[in-house]
Amino acid sequence: MRSVAAAAGPPSRFRKRSGARASLRPYGAARHLLNPVSAASFQIDVPELVLARARRGDARALETIYRAFERPAYTLALRVVGDVESAREVVHDAMLRLIERIGQFRGEAPFWGWLRQIVVNEALMHLRRSRGAAFEELDERDEPPGDGPPPWLLADAAQLERALGELPRMTRSVLWLYHVEEYTHQEIAEMTGKSVSFSKSQVARGGSRLRRLMDRQEQEAARCLAATP
Amino acid sequence: MSRRDAMNDRPGDAALAAALRALPDAAPMPDLWPDLARSIARRRRRPLRYALPIALAAAVAFALVLPRLVNRGATTSQPATPVAHVTAPASPVDELSQLHRRSQSLERWIAAVAARAPQDGRDLMAAVEVEDLIGLVDVQLGGAHTRSDALPLWRQRVALLEDLAAIRGNGVALAANGADGEAVPASLNLLN
Repeated sequence: MRSVAAAAGPPSRFRKRSGARASLRPYGAARHLLNPVSAASFQIDVPELVLARARRGDARALETIYRAFERPAYTLALRVVGDVESAREVVHDAMLRLIERIGQFRGEAPFWGWLRQIVVNEALMHLRRSRGAAFEELDERDEPPGDGPPPWLLADAAQLERALGELPRMTRSVLWLYHVEEYTHQEIAEMTGKSVSFSKSQVARGGSRLRRLMDRQEQEAARCLAATP
Repeated sequence: MSRRDAMNDRPGDAALAAALRALPDAAPMPDLWPDLARSIARRRRRPLRYALPIALAAAVAFALVLPRLVNRGATTSQPATPVAHVTAPASPVDELSQLHRRSQSLERWIAAVAARAPQDGRDLMAAVEVEDLIGLVDVQLGGAHTRSDALPLWRQRVALLEDLAAIRGNGVALAANGADGEAVPASLNLLN
């Protein structure tokens, strides 16, 4: 019979250590804990101990939470608002709001989801305030694309990044919230104060526009190559 | 795309989502913490200015409301039925899976804060000691053949990870002193 410990087992990276190598060096097996996870990932579980201290206003606990989430918060803010200075402001304001409200966090949902919502709200509020224009319309050419593989399958990250930067701000935000943060159209509609169909159309047209922008980049690059003697 | 309207997605949307997720992280921004810490300090000082007026207002309001509450209590009071909040003891299987989940979530947290929080030499030494103890528990877990053997080891592993999280997050002072009268972490008992 297979043992429970082996079936449930310690984390897979430790299982090797019960073999020959483990006998050579039984200690220090948890060095992997020094390796950071992806900095952009919001899905970090904060220990209860840290949360309890933060609720009591413990500055070190608050700083710990800030340090854990500063990169994902900044990355998300930057994708929504589109420029470095505004993204910093968003993170600053979101963290202040977190500090003000952490006593209200009941722990019914994961903390990271609660904090991410604060960051999204701040970023969208920033978008609404800036330059008066909250939403930008896409033109009629942003219709569903034809056949052929989408350019993001072949392009590198820099090309996609450039094209993303050229999208209208709200379109980019909706696209990011839907595809990366996995909000539903209903949730996006509530957050932006628009309709579900608005969210759907922004995702659909935004994808098409992204494709055209990348195709154009590709053509320009080809022209440059052809013109080079 | 697990929880969403995937039915509405067009062909290629999954590829776009994957490409967007694979974009590199934004470059690190300048440290905002000093500024935030100043804001916290300002906000903490501010309430003192209004503390007396707020306390007076609260006292007046309480004095007005109290007689009504007393009267209502006299007319409608009934012996209170205590509500028992009894949770059923978790079965070993449940507890084991809870411990697995807790262990994974703590590991994610520790991995997330490790590279970001500044560590001084004492923190680092304490963390290394606890990591070694976790390593030892893992070796023992590798040889645990029954659930009853594994359960106490998993409990110990989670306790050690909680200690490590505290050290990583709050520094060795918190771990050693158990600030605010909290229990001294298990790992330090083991170390001494």
